[in-house]
Amino acid sequence: MVVEIGGFAVADWVTLAPTLVLVAASLLVFLIDTVEPRPGSSSNAVLAAVTTVGSLLAFLVAGYLLVVGVGQERVTGPVSMFNGQLVVDGMSLFFVVIVGSVTALVALASYDYLAGEAYQAEYYALVLLAATGMSLMASANSLATAFVCLELSSLPSYALVAFYKDNRGSVEASLKYFLVGALSSSVLVYGISLVYAASGRLQFGAVAEQLGARPEFAGVLGVGVVMVLLGFAFKTASVPFHFWAPEAYEGAPAPVSAFLSSASKAAGFVLAFRLFLTAFPEVGGLAGGDPAVDWVVAVQVLAVVTMFVGNFAAATQEKVKRMLAYSSVGHAGYVLIGLAAISAPDSGFVLGASMMHLLVYGFMNTGAFLFVALAEQWGIGRTFQDFNGLSTQAPLACAAMTVFLFSLAGLPIGGGFISKLYLLAATAKAGTWLLGAALIVNSALSLYYYSRVVKAMWFEEPDGTVEIESYPTSLYAAVVIAAVATVVLLPAFGLLSPSAFNAASGLF
Amino acid sequence: MSNPWIAIGALALVAVVIPVSMLTMSRLLRPSVPEQGKRAVYESGEVPTGDTRIRFNIQYYMVALLFVVFDIETVLIFPWTVIYRDAVANVGLARVLLPMLAFIGVLVVALAWAWRNGAVRWVRSPRTTAQRVDRKS
Repeated sequence: MVVEIGGFAVADWVTLAPTLVLVAASLLVFLIDTVEPRPGSSSNAVLAAVTTVGSLLAFLVAGYLLVVGVGQERVTGPVSMFNGQLVVDGMSLFFVVIVGSVTALVALASYDYLAGEAYQAEYYALVLLAATGMSLMASANSLATAFVCLELSSLPSYALVAFYKDNRGSVEASLKYFLVGALSSSVLVYGISLVYAASGRLQFGAVAEQLGARPEFAGVLGVGVVMVLLGFAFKTASVPFHFWAPEAYEGAPAPVSAFLSSASKAAGFVLAFRLFLTAFPEVGGLAGGDPAVDWVVAVQVLAVVTMFVGNFAAATQEKVKRMLAYSSVGHAGYVLIGLAAISAPDSGFVLGASMMHLLVYGFMNTGAFLFVALAEQWGIGRTFQDFNGLSTQAPLACAAMTVFLFSLAGLPIGGGFISKLYLLAATAKAGTWLLGAALIVNSALSLYYYSRVVKAMWFEEPDGTVEIESYPTSLYAAVVIAAVATVVLLPAFGLLSPSAFNAASGLF
Repeated sequence: MSNPWIAIGALALVAVVIPVSMLTMSRLLRPSVPEQGKRAVYESGEVPTGDTRIRFNIQYYMVALLFVVFDIETVLIFPWTVIYRDAVANVGLARVLLPMLAFIGVLVVALAWAWRNGAVRWVRSPRTTAQRVDRKS
């Protein structure tokens, strides 16, 4: 198979270049560690540089392919390879852009965070392997491939959460994450088997073709679809498999929390989008007529419940990292609107709004967690009070954190404002007023707990016990880059959103 | 024609009745001699030492993991070798050989890494060494 990229005819697998770059970077990290195997003897700088450059390259290549229109209607159409097991289209490239940018930020921040730790090479290798799995998830086009990609991104994540293997909190968090992950994987794989039983196909498009609008075994299929949905709820940290998130994010090293809550969530969503829109559109009633398996309603319920659970739980937290973890659950609820309001006449807009929210969220949420990483480096505590008066000593980082939090809340200081506005418009278009109301109520509530951090940093008096000694350069750089990207996405939103809308409408 | 499930049901019934009746018969006929040796844990005829909840050496896990990797590698290479000649004749050497070389290359990198990091180095556990010393004395 030959496709044309920017005037050159190349083999179709070249469109997977971003993923291949991540694979190559992880193999390079392994090679470096093979040369210097004693823990702590390979250079942290080299490893961090390979990881950062590799993921940055993946980000740039994916961005380039997206800009020249690979896999989109106007140039080549979706590039399908390996008998339709993988597909590269606007949607997959868009999410590789998200995963690549988050991984690059996390790797940059990890350089300072990991200074002096043993097993650095293992850390970077696991991050890159997980990123590989996430970028492949964006391209997975069959139930079997989807499951393998999901595991490829999950297994390194379990190990990453337990990176401090002598720290009880870290190990406990990892065990909980692993157990919930194993449970939800089994639920997912059982759901896949039921879908296969009802359709006899694994490839998404073939499943839809085989099922038609009136499948023969609607009951079996219904149970299967619900179980698959629950399996994805784990990956995206949505209700009912959300309770691992606060534990895992709190116990894990903060850059890993950033990585899991942004990139891993985005990857779970892209797979859910692709699966439900290419494998179950007709049975869900998207082509008109009565739905045989009404998964849209199930997603609507999950979206509303996830929003409320995440935000109300976040409002009661005393620790900043747990608050951010629950807020990330709440944001999963916002993104679910993309699927829940899909029956709107302009479904490309609805789904595109969700994708744009994930893009903005990738920067602002990663930045917020990296700020927490900075605070952990300084050795100040974990509760809201411990952040009191931090702005007198670290005004730049606190300003960046303020940008992240207000953008997460949806104030017009960062891209989070417009993406939430678009989500609200999407609910209005679909006429699902309950979703829109839930979005508004929860955004208002989230402003309360986000501003608690801002108040502590800027308005409270410092208690004078904390003295910041060092200003780690790469962590600072990562936080500032994320803040700049969050702010720039406010005016630049209109530049990027058409590609999201095009990519989204490519699925219908 | 009668329902074929009747035959299957009859077979299942016989399959349950025969072992149950044999066990019941022998229970009624045999003498009962309870004795210490019969209640001990069976350890291939050896006198058991310690209980079953011991820590296994991490090496078993490492070796098992490497075994799984190579097992799967074999499963993929085997059908590839079977079709190799035909495939070369059809699509050319490069398209048949290079993907497999890339696959094996990835595994070699992983194996070299595991080897250098001591996954296949045989470590003596302090516990077995201590036991060996005990037996000598």
